[in-house]
Amino acid sequence: MSAILPTLSVLFAVIATAVPWGLPADATFILPLVVVMMVFCWRALPGVTLSPVAAVLLGLLTDVMGGGPLGFWALLALIASSAGTYSRVFGADHELGPLWLIWTGLVAGLACFGWLLASAFFLRWIDWWPIAFGAAASVALFPVVLNGLLWIKRSGVRQLPHASYRGRV
Amino acid sequence: MRGERSPFRRRPSRWRGPVELLSFALYFLCAVLLVLSRIGHGLLIDARDDFVDLSAPLLEAASTPVILARHGLQRVRSYAGAFAEIDRLKAENEELKQWEWRAKSLERKVDHLRSLLNAVDEPALHYATGSVIADARGPFLRSALINLGRDNGVRIGYAVINGDGLVGRTVDAGASVARVLLLNDLNSRIPVLVGPAGVRALASGDNSAELRLDFLPDGAQLYPGDEVYTSGSDGVMPRGLRVGVVKGTSGAYKVKPHAELSSLDAVSVLFFDTPALTATDPPSLADPRALSATPEATPAAQPAPAAQPAPRPTAANEPNPLDSALKQAVGVSSGAVSTDEAQAVQQ
Repeated sequence: MSAILPTLSVLFAVIATAVPWGLPADATFILPLVVVMMVFCWRALPGVTLSPVAAVLLGLLTDVMGGGPLGFWALLALIASSAGTYSRVFGADHELGPLWLIWTGLVAGLACFGWLLASAFFLRWIDWWPIAFGAAASVALFPVVLNGLLWIKRSGVRQLPHASYRGRV
Repeated sequence: MRGERSPFRRRPSRWRGPVELLSFALYFLCAVLLVLSRIGHGLLIDARDDFVDLSAPLLEAASTPVILARHGLQRVRSYAGAFAEIDRLKAENEELKQWEWRAKSLERKVDHLRSLLNAVDEPALHYATGSVIADARGPFLRSALINLGRDNGVRIGYAVINGDGLVGRTVDAGASVARVLLLNDLNSRIPVLVGPAGVRALASGDNSAELRLDFLPDGAQLYPGDEVYTSGSDGVMPRGLRVGVVKGTSGAYKVKPHAELSSLDAVSVLFFDTPALTATDPPSLADPRALSATPEATPAAQPAPAAQPAPRPTAANEPNPLDSALKQAVGVSSGAVSTDEAQAVQQ
């Protein structure tokens, strides 16, 4: 599968994080977490080539667009990317259920880590509720996003028939 | 096709040294960036500003359909409740007519008293109106990117308002875009006056929808519904800008901002220059396009003063249907607004 397609799809999501949707203050964490989720999914799905460097760059772009500290979303995207790779190592890439379960555990960990990191960055305890709400929403959205990515993957495979048999990079 | 049977095909696992090394390097890079970001490294800030400037047209293009859709949705909602809204507006109009008469009367009285006291006129405030092209989302920041920048005379520290009241202040200014730190951001601190007694306090953001009221004097008598407005004691914000109303009970007072901070659209930047702002300007102000250059130094788009009958329309000062609403927020009658008038509206 083309390496461009996963990157472009995540890039589209990154741009969407910066668009003024008019979401309430509690829902501000959802869209960046969807970006992280997409990185995880693309890394977990076999035959897809989203490199960790691309994951970090997309995370950095999310940081720049959001105006937050540089490296925060890049770090979370990198952790998700690594987790996606290990989910393949442990053979959890062949079923929706295990992937969903892994994402649930991962996003819980990411939410705690993100909250601690943000609190450490600002040297004060930041409000945990938007992060928890975003994490819960991302768990609920996981099947939708995964199926969307699978649809993109199948479209990409149709355009590049030989790419579906490539090994991962 | 073999891959079509299951989208989640199992693949043999393998460990690769270079990949692990690359991952470690990337983790290290992220940590370094976080540290540099924490200490506010100038290179990082400049690079970010340049990138945001470059990506502004893309963000604006991406935001346009979303903003149009939001407007469409609002229109559909308003159609749904049109009759009730008309009745409400009629009643409100009747009430406002009374207020208009009273405001004019007070204005005359204030003018008379000022002339008796030989009071010095306060400088008028100029403003430029733009729109929000991007939102910041995350645990750190509540900010918005607007399509006004140094070319339009915007500099760091200017107050930003919309039709409802104060929205925030500018914290970054690129050539064509500026970042507005919203009132409810974790780093936002606005000195305010509360209620008719003018109790001094600090309205602090905590990333939630409402603001905290810190440093209230002991025994301060506040009541839910009391108006909160800027005190101007920071030397950055003009005095008398509407912020919100008091909510909650004693010991846990909150401020509900008048402006709907989660769905901002058109906003105006008030060009309010004070010694506090000019003192913090970088020494490279000789360059008129430098960050935080004064509006007067930028020839591209100077804000139009009230006395000029027909200001040259630019992106910054072209007639905007929301202008009348914005004027309401600070009590203005033209392209320039006096802080006196803003205070008179408050009273």
